[in-house]
Amino acid sequence: MISPMIQLILTFLVVIGVFVALYFLSRRPQPAGGSESLLEGRAALNALQRELLPPEMLDRIFSKVDHEYVSQDASAAVQGLFLKERRKIALSWAHELQEQILSLRRFHLGSARFYARLSVRTEIKLALQFLSLLFLCRVLRGLFFVRGAYGAPRVVGYAVAASARICSISENAMSFLKAAELDSVSENPQRTPMLL
Amino acid sequence: MTPVSKRMDVVEAGDDLRRRTLSHIKRPLDRLIYLASTRDYNTGFYYHDGLASRFSQEVVCEALADCHRQAFRELLLSPLENLVGQMAEYIETSNTSPADFVAAWKKLEPYRVAVPVDTDLLTAEFLFSNFKIALAILEARLNTRPQAAPDAWLHQSPAQ
Repeated sequence: MISPMIQLILTFLVVIGVFVALYFLSRRPQPAGGSESLLEGRAALNALQRELLPPEMLDRIFSKVDHEYVSQDASAAVQGLFLKERRKIALSWAHELQEQILSLRRFHLGSARFYARLSVRTEIKLALQFLSLLFLCRVLRGLFFVRGAYGAPRVVGYAVAASARICSISENAMSFLKAAELDSVSENPQRTPMLL
Repeated sequence: MTPVSKRMDVVEAGDDLRRRTLSHIKRPLDRLIYLASTRDYNTGFYYHDGLASRFSQEVVCEALADCHRQAFRELLLSPLENLVGQMAEYIETSNTSPADFVAAWKKLEPYRVAVPVDTDLLTAEFLFSNFKIALAILEARLNTRPQAAPDAWLHQSPAQ
């Protein structure tokens, strides 16, 4: 008589447990998906490709020619100002690079796997690339802070190459998207494009 | 007007502006300042009477904005030495005393309102930073120039 009663209570507890677990699972924040993360990803890719990574822009920010030109100046004050200004710009560049890479990572976490159907191996490789690049950005910021804009040319090169690789992978993941569809999402966020 | 025909008009208006007006303005710095001056600071729209007689206001606005972005890009990618040279020549043609000019630009930073509206922060800050350094170089030259040759400072190398 006692045994069926215990069984009933246990079953009852298990059922309650399942409901509680389902409740908390349903309340767990979902990774960002849909048009919002897609637009964020596209904006980050544009910022990287058009503003942060073009060789001509990098040549200007980290230009040795400018450094040599100012180094000829007898005035220590002007040289000091130049190095201070370049360090400020280099720090902003590294910060912005990190922010855009984080945006791209959010896009990949939230939606890329649904659209591009990346393989597990590619996803792991991509995750490691994001991780190493974000670490590089932190190292760069530290180096710029301590040694100035001209103190880490190799690390800048590594970061740029790694960013370009991630941009290329992200671009492939987004390649199915047409500009017109993105435009229609930005003009009317309520509307979800067919592909989404 | 379809987007394609509008774009064609914008390209035509831009070419017209480059051929008739901008080709006579040699330095990118002067072009940037001129094009920024055609923009209404209250609305952000560009106006040009000559072009408006041939194209719609919308087309004129976009053509001027395109040219403005191009001039900005040219100046942005100019080496620092080139920017200093452009500023020195600009001062020469401004009919202002170099000392007054440098003092006013350092204080008011008028170049901050000359950038196209959709410029990203880092790019704009980079150009402002270059202006700041260029002004410091010109100021240093002014303080060391010989009194007998008042214009010689324009053509000095920094080492001089």
